[in-house]
Amino acid sequence: MASKQNVEPERIHEKEHVIQEGMDISGHWNRMFEQRVIWDYTPELIEKVTDVAGGESFGACYQCAQCVPVCPVNIVGDYSPRRIYRRVQTGGDLFESPDLWQCTTCMNCLRVCPKEVDMMQIMPAVREQAVLNGYVPDELQEVFRNTADYGNPMGESPKKRHAWTKKAAADVPLMKDKKKADYLWFVECYPSYHPRGIEASVALAHVFDLLKVDYAILGPEEKCSCDSQRLAGEVGLFEECAEHNLKVFKRYKVRKVLVTDPHALNAFRKEYPALGGKFETIHYTTFLADRMDELGMTKELGLKVTFHDPCYLGRHNGEYDAPRKMLQSIPGVELVEMGRCRENSYCCGGGGGGMWLDGFMSDHVTMRLSERRVIEAVETGSDVLAVCCPYEVSRFEDAVKSTGNEGKLVVKDIIELVVEALG
Amino acid sequence: MVELPVLVIGGGPAGMEAARGIADIGYRCVLVEKRMVLGGTPELANYAALTPDFRDAGEAMAEMAKAVQDDEQVDVRIGTTVRDVSGAAGGFEVSLKSGTGNETVKAGAVVIATGFQHFDPGRETQQYGYYEYDDVLTLVDLEKMLREKKVVRPSNGEPPKRMCFIQCVGSRDRQIGNEYCSKVCCGVAAKESIEVRQLLPDCKVFIFYIDMRMYGYWENEIYWPSQEKYKVNYIKGIATDIRKKGDKLIVRGEDTTMGRPMEVPMDLVVLSVGMEASSGTKEMAEIFGVELNKYKFIETTGGALNTVATSVEGVFACGAATGPADIEDSISSASAAAMKAVSIVRKKALAG
Repeated sequence: MASKQNVEPERIHEKEHVIQEGMDISGHWNRMFEQRVIWDYTPELIEKVTDVAGGESFGACYQCAQCVPVCPVNIVGDYSPRRIYRRVQTGGDLFESPDLWQCTTCMNCLRVCPKEVDMMQIMPAVREQAVLNGYVPDELQEVFRNTADYGNPMGESPKKRHAWTKKAAADVPLMKDKKKADYLWFVECYPSYHPRGIEASVALAHVFDLLKVDYAILGPEEKCSCDSQRLAGEVGLFEECAEHNLKVFKRYKVRKVLVTDPHALNAFRKEYPALGGKFETIHYTTFLADRMDELGMTKELGLKVTFHDPCYLGRHNGEYDAPRKMLQSIPGVELVEMGRCRENSYCCGGGGGGMWLDGFMSDHVTMRLSERRVIEAVETGSDVLAVCCPYEVSRFEDAVKSTGNEGKLVVKDIIELVVEALG
Repeated sequence: MVELPVLVIGGGPAGMEAARGIADIGYRCVLVEKRMVLGGTPELANYAALTPDFRDAGEAMAEMAKAVQDDEQVDVRIGTTVRDVSGAAGGFEVSLKSGTGNETVKAGAVVIATGFQHFDPGRETQQYGYYEYDDVLTLVDLEKMLREKKVVRPSNGEPPKRMCFIQCVGSRDRQIGNEYCSKVCCGVAAKESIEVRQLLPDCKVFIFYIDMRMYGYWENEIYWPSQEKYKVNYIKGIATDIRKKGDKLIVRGEDTTMGRPMEVPMDLVVLSVGMEASSGTKEMAEIFGVELNKYKFIETTGGALNTVATSVEGVFACGAATGPADIEDSISSASAAAMKAVSIVRKKALAG
């Protein structure tokens, strides 16, 4: 009797009795090894995506599947641009699908795509509509709110954006006081507020001081560059923050900007010019790579180090050599590469809003991308996983703990290793 | 010694191009066509537009026909068939039959350009229901509708709201005996899909395929635009079961990309039929004693470096008489055959 209760005849009946466009196309239940599936193709759902400005290239996918093996989410889940296309073609509405929030915009798919299906355009365009329709994971919504209210995703006090400078040995000047400097150092949110980000900022301030770099920071006048919020669909918020930052840049006649965060680099280089930004942006590794011998690093670190290429520094902005050059100039550092590196580097999972979607993602992946990456780093036998993107220190440190690799691997920003080698 | 003309058999694109080529380099030619008009299969089957350049097929064939008809070096014989041949390379005597009687002409060389015929989808199996259901067509049937700018369901005269193409019908099939790829059907289906979408913007168009064979520029000239600009849906997996349900056709197959069975209603199904050797090709092979391959196309014997030589010296073949060929291939091989035929005539004359 118990087994009978598990069967709901009405449901079977319903599933197999299919009337489509007034036509009865029912069949036997379970007549194949797999339950017979009757479906209709939904080209209109593909057109719904391609009709959105930015979504056009979605319709070009011809299912060659080259994106599948390089998609970082595919390695830990059931995901890839090819699959998204198929699901949309067979009834899935991307605007309401969990597929919409799993892409980290790491750009590895576009690197190999023969049809130039551009998820970096498609995802923000469709997400923008989803956000307007209220379909957005709660944790992301909170980040949007924080950014709107406080100018940073964590909801920290904007007044305390430069509080970290008290920890720096050297004086970190504010633009407000200094008025004029060769370089504006755009510190960004995580390097201003996150404890591990602050440690890297303190180290970078020390190095700038040693090299007598003429710079200043904005402190409370700085707001999040907002690139990840843009890619997560909050285009309006991005524009609001960008307009604020550009106004401040203009006030101080900023010509050159140094950034810690590759996401800020990307926004400044690719998005701010369209909004009127006219300045040069340099990642701190690019800035320092050729000046390492001026620092007089003497302490032999005796460390085997592997390096994680940030998606937004490497694939998005073409800088692969500067961080490696820095690491190789540090005494006693042996650089070893992970299998996935440079152009084919794995994603930490933080880009495109992924930084704030760990809860949501846990329902869709077997492990976090950051955990997968830490396992790869451990496999190289390295003592240190070196990074140069502020998202990564916190993500990878959590992943070292959650994968049980504490004691085997430490995560450090490159600039922290530089300061250690100063002795 | 007087230079003999070249006999070209077949007034389709390949035959007309061969005749024009022979005349252009200053030699004489007799062009024989059994039908009363020039233009070959594009004319006979009412092609709308050529693949891949969408040029009006009627206009293109008329232009080719005019070129040979206006050239006094070409002796055009329509309504004429070849009955018999004697002699050898450099000096064939060919007997022709026409409405006005029999005649023997001398020719230094022969070019066979007897083309192909479309696969008959009901010939071997009934799996696609071509003869059962009004709304199952072939590429050729649709071509005619496109030429008339009126694509409708034959069953009720209404424009289709959803239609599909099924690729590889009659090609790549050991059971049917056509193991070869017919080369043109992918391109023609993509071309027709674009034309349908231009005529009927509200009609959803699907193409069920094994693999799309869009070699060279066909990829970017027809395949990509059909998907990217005209929103044609490509589904990997061939449907092999078509049934009528109500006034629709139910197409069953497997969506191999999803690994799941599929069953979709359609208003119109178009079978992408391939190419087979024409009856004319088989007849000419027998008369001239040239060898056929196992698919009854004329066997070319020169390997990769000579695509027009046959097993009989002085007899050349070009176009779809030698195997599946698109218009571009046919025109190219026709020029090659013209050159090689002329070289036989010329050498013979020089040798006296």
